[in-house]
Amino acid sequence: MIKVQGGIGVKSYIGKRIATGILTIIFSFCITFFLIRYAPGNPMKVLAGTDNPNLELIEHLTIKYGLDKPIPVQFVNYVKNILKGDLGHSYMSNEPVTKLIKEKVFPTILLTLTSSILAVVVGTFLGVYAARKVGTIFDRVMCGISYFIDATPGFWLGLIFILIFASTFKILPTSGMYDLRIEKQGFAHVLDVIKHMILPVSTLTIIQIPLYFRISRSSVLQTMSEDFIMTLRATGMKESQIFNKYVLRNAIIPTITMFSLSLAFTISGVALIEIVFAWPGMGRLIMDAIMKRDYPLLTGIYLTISISICIVMIITDIVYAIVDPRIRLE
Amino acid sequence: MIENSQQMLKAINSIKELKVGIILLMILIGIAVFAPLIATHDPYVLNDEMIAKPSSKYIFGTDGLGRDVFSMVVYGSRTSLKIGIIAAAISSVIGTLIGGVAGYMGGKVDKVISEIINMFLMLPTFFLILIVVAIYGSSLSNIIIVIGLTSWTGTARLMRAQAISLRERTFIKSAKTIGESEMGILFKHIIPNGIFPIIADSTMSVSSAILSEAGLSFIGLGDPNVVSWGQIIAHGKGYLTRGWWICTFSGLAIVFTVISFYLIGEGMNHILSPKLNKIK
Repeated sequence: MIKVQGGIGVKSYIGKRIATGILTIIFSFCITFFLIRYAPGNPMKVLAGTDNPNLELIEHLTIKYGLDKPIPVQFVNYVKNILKGDLGHSYMSNEPVTKLIKEKVFPTILLTLTSSILAVVVGTFLGVYAARKVGTIFDRVMCGISYFIDATPGFWLGLIFILIFASTFKILPTSGMYDLRIEKQGFAHVLDVIKHMILPVSTLTIIQIPLYFRISRSSVLQTMSEDFIMTLRATGMKESQIFNKYVLRNAIIPTITMFSLSLAFTISGVALIEIVFAWPGMGRLIMDAIMKRDYPLLTGIYLTISISICIVMIITDIVYAIVDPRIRLE
Repeated sequence: MIENSQQMLKAINSIKELKVGIILLMILIGIAVFAPLIATHDPYVLNDEMIAKPSSKYIFGTDGLGRDVFSMVVYGSRTSLKIGIIAAAISSVIGTLIGGVAGYMGGKVDKVISEIINMFLMLPTFFLILIVVAIYGSSLSNIIIVIGLTSWTGTARLMRAQAISLRERTFIKSAKTIGESEMGILFKHIIPNGIFPIIADSTMSVSSAILSEAGLSFIGLGDPNVVSWGQIIAHGKGYLTRGWWICTFSGLAIVFTVISFYLIGEGMNHILSPKLNKIK
């Protein structure tokens, strides 16, 4: 029974997705806020030091950061500030959280996007190719490799890369984003950054490839086994024409959804890999915030990440709805 | 019953992934159970030789504090298996219940639960686990519970789909006519009949829980009282240039374990969807 519900157009679909996105942000924000505030341990004591804690200082700091007020009041204050675009001040460095995040966000985005796009392109290409050669040695070897990579923790792969390419062969830099000893300008600087990017980006790309490989491979196979392909074959259409015109388009669509879904995972994966390669991005910031119990920084980072994930997911959903009209009708 | 188990063996034998996966897992469980017999040293004892190369005395070498890496890897299997299996069990139970209720009840209940599932899917889960473990302490039980509580969404979606398709079947309708309670139908018919794909899915959750724990341990948020592979890697990171064996072998152990669970899950999926088999 095919039930087509009329009236649900792209617009209301997008509206629904945006509503879910906003709900998610509020929800994840509430979770973190209360989790962090009800946590054991007092950050002001950490700030005041353990050797010779000064009670007056602790009291002063507690009042300064508004921690003396009941938690619901703190919550209301925090939400008010956020609506003004103010994420508060970091306990440790006393700088605005937004500023700290802004400094670190670009390197992380650089890594995430470069590797994700590379992985989509390479993974989909390999998957489609393997599906066309299904059952051959190439296909089997690629499937086997994809299992192995899936089972490999990214941070470990990064370390092994460092071991091979940086310690043994000494070809590539192991850490940082640029050479700290020689300051370079213009093109040389860009080249330097690219050189430093090679290892972290390849690590991230490689661990993401199996996902796209498997999705595109199985969706090509799935489409190939559909009845309409059989009909097309019966009409005498050339195999390559069927493939390029009908199979490929249907098969590529699922990779788009995968892209947005995997982004949420990639961001946490990036944090670990940034730590491995000492990349000056959000990973380091997250670690510092956790170790030093910097609550405002922690909630700020979490909020930023949640918002960016939601935005990306909504955008992909919209693209998806435009590309594939079936979605709108569901 | 005998016929049944023979059939099952036959099915397992015919699917390569499942066979290899189960053999690997058996080896692994054997290592974990007989760890004290297999380990050549006490994993907590600091030997005199630090960063010793792999040799007959120290099969995988020693780490920066002089601990025997081989014995640590052997004992680490206990931690990883425990975390993986218990966390996956927690998330599967939660996911099955939530998904089952949503799919079977339908209507408004389903709408609300689906929306919650969608929200959970958008959360950066690993980061949430990280925050909770960092703040509430990194004991083994904390890690297990947090991983279990945050990774049930996939299972819930699967179970929901199962429940929706089962709900329309005749035997459910007859059960209703006889006057069975809603809860009775859910637990006696819907869940048992829809559980098989969930089991296949849970083996995959075991792998992802093991990987999450490894990640946590790597950044120093593992339980300091037990040996874990992630911790060995984290320690080995500092000795990468002088002692490649510390990181390498513990990492390989993770790969080995995770792959065995992947293969089992994949094999089960093959039994479940004959269409996939035919394509292959």
